[in-house]
Amino acid sequence: MRKEVPLLITFVVALIVMLSQVTTGNIPGLGVAMPDLFERYISPWMTVVSAFSLCLASVNLIVVHSRNISRKQSEWIYSLILLGTLVIYGAWCTYIQINPDNTAAASNYSLIYNYILSPLMTGQWACLAFYVASASYRAFRARNLEATVLLASAILVMLGATPVGGVIWSKFPVIQRWLIDIPNMTGQRALLIGAAVGSFVACLRTMLGIERGHLGIGGS
Amino acid sequence: MSLMERLQNVDSRIIYVLLLIALSLPLLRPIGIPLQTDPMVRAVYDIIEGLDPEKDRVLLSMDYSPGAGLDAEVSPVAVVEHLAERGIKWVAISFGTTDGPMMTNRIIADLEARGYEYGKDFANLGYMAGEENAVRLFALDCLSVPTDVRGNRTDQLPVMQGIKTIKDFAFVMQFSMGTPEMWIRQVVDPMGIKFATGTVTVSVPSIVPYFNSGQVKGVMGGVSSAAQYELLCNKPGRGAALMDAQSMGHLLIILFIVLGNIGYFMVKDKKDNLAAGQ
Repeated sequence: MRKEVPLLITFVVALIVMLSQVTTGNIPGLGVAMPDLFERYISPWMTVVSAFSLCLASVNLIVVHSRNISRKQSEWIYSLILLGTLVIYGAWCTYIQINPDNTAAASNYSLIYNYILSPLMTGQWACLAFYVASASYRAFRARNLEATVLLASAILVMLGATPVGGVIWSKFPVIQRWLIDIPNMTGQRALLIGAAVGSFVACLRTMLGIERGHLGIGGS
Repeated sequence: MSLMERLQNVDSRIIYVLLLIALSLPLLRPIGIPLQTDPMVRAVYDIIEGLDPEKDRVLLSMDYSPGAGLDAEVSPVAVVEHLAERGIKWVAISFGTTDGPMMTNRIIADLEARGYEYGKDFANLGYMAGEENAVRLFALDCLSVPTDVRGNRTDQLPVMQGIKTIKDFAFVMQFSMGTPEMWIRQVVDPMGIKFATGTVTVSVPSIVPYFNSGQVKGVMGGVSSAAQYELLCNKPGRGAALMDAQSMGHLLIILFIVLGNIGYFMVKDKKDNLAAGQ
């Protein structure tokens, strides 16, 4: 039963989702159409499950980091900061929800986010520019034909995408546009179609119970 | 080590310092390199110019976080500025990241400081969990979000009056750090809405097939698109200010790539000649 019930649920739900895309009429005996069945009953469940997973993730976070702190494991201080921030944010937000008229509390709620977290995250992203510059310099060597094509495309796209390219030669943006519109799009479409067919096959395998990784049972 | 070998192995720290200088100088003293407008950016501008401020409302899906830096943040600011200038009402919601409502609040704070009114001119419906399913659920019933981030009932917000499904919005635009497939799958194709997207520069090549197919009506990719948009609106802002720096940064990277290759070929030639002589 541990295998059969989840597999049956997977099969029935997947069948409803698939049929909801290709049928319109009412299901005989039920008086409800397949798309309605999906949109009214199954789709809202996904939102509930996703919201619940956020709660579960918070509980898991608390358990893991509380253990780090109680055992004084390496870098436990970061766990303490993380839990402290979680508690402060949670309590603060709850206070705002209970006291919506307190505008000062609501505006100060964003302080940590706007002036600590946000600059740190933006700074981390900005650092990538330096790594990309160094990596491009080392990686883009015309060692063979493929590498030469990649190198030439990269330089043309970079020049075409920035204003200075158009100033150097007016055709750089035109060439960049052609590279993006034709060779890039051809490759992207091939990838998209390939991925879509692959996803469909993976879904079919899950639906039919051939793939059972999501149940923690393992493959066929 | 010969000069040519050195050209192949420039210390990373030298590249970092030179890049920092190349990026900083144009920020301190802008050069004002002229910009060309991309048709994908122009398309977004034309859609918003074509909206009727009296009756049309716009939905913005704010699915980006500060982790994507200014590349993601400058485009929504430019578009919202255009909407505000034209007096078009808009509603924001987030599906892709819990950071979305906070990012929207930043934009809203600036507008409120200039006299625009929350609830009447715009609203922030917050984060809706469920990603792709949440998008579909919201598209079918926009009042499935009971309250906004300030605790107001969604159905009582003036900006939401008359809105039942996503088809009641004249235009929908997603700002994200990736590609808009979930919107195309769940809403654009099945419900036939007018949809555009704003993303980080690196994701633009993946969106081009959707733009060329007509599923995505316009694309804004990073700082460069934001700068073009600002100039279309005759309001140069942060995007335009950053473009000179971007140009100089790219030129420096290209210079290093060229130098590295010159060094590589010179050393290779030398080795080939030595091998031929032996």
